[in-house]
Amino acid sequence: MSSSLPPREGSLSGLTETEAKEFHKIFVFSFIVFTLIAIVAHFLVWSWRPWIPGPNGYTMIDHAHNALAVAASAFT
Amino acid sequence: MYRIWLLFDPRRALVALFAFLFTLALLIHFILLSTPRFDWIGGGVATPPGAQDSSLPASK
Repeated sequence: MSSSLPPREGSLSGLTETEAKEFHKIFVFSFIVFTLIAIVAHFLVWSWRPWIPGPNGYTMIDHAHNALAVAASAFT
Repeated sequence: MYRIWLLFDPRRALVALFAFLFTLALLIHFILLSTPRFDWIGGGVATPPGAQDSSLPASK
């Protein structure tokens, strides 16, 4: 009896393959734009006040001449 | 990967995603505002030297 089920049409969401592809394009593009804005925002905030303190607390990195060295060492 | 939209209704997924991101953003902004270092409204100067070691006993 269960074998006599008609072949399933459409999808769970009701979208067709073409519609899903079209929506996915927009979604991925929006995601990339959102991520780029977030990266810029994080860069600006890090240059304003870094949020990872050095071994001696924030005082170590609050001096401008130390900031670059600390930022560089965080990625090495 | 696009097949995810055959499973999840884009309209509901977008509403849920926007609601989640907005709540998360609101939470993070309020947490930052509550800290002395990252309060960008009432802030001013960065946390002065030593002030962030509040868990340590005061030196005499």
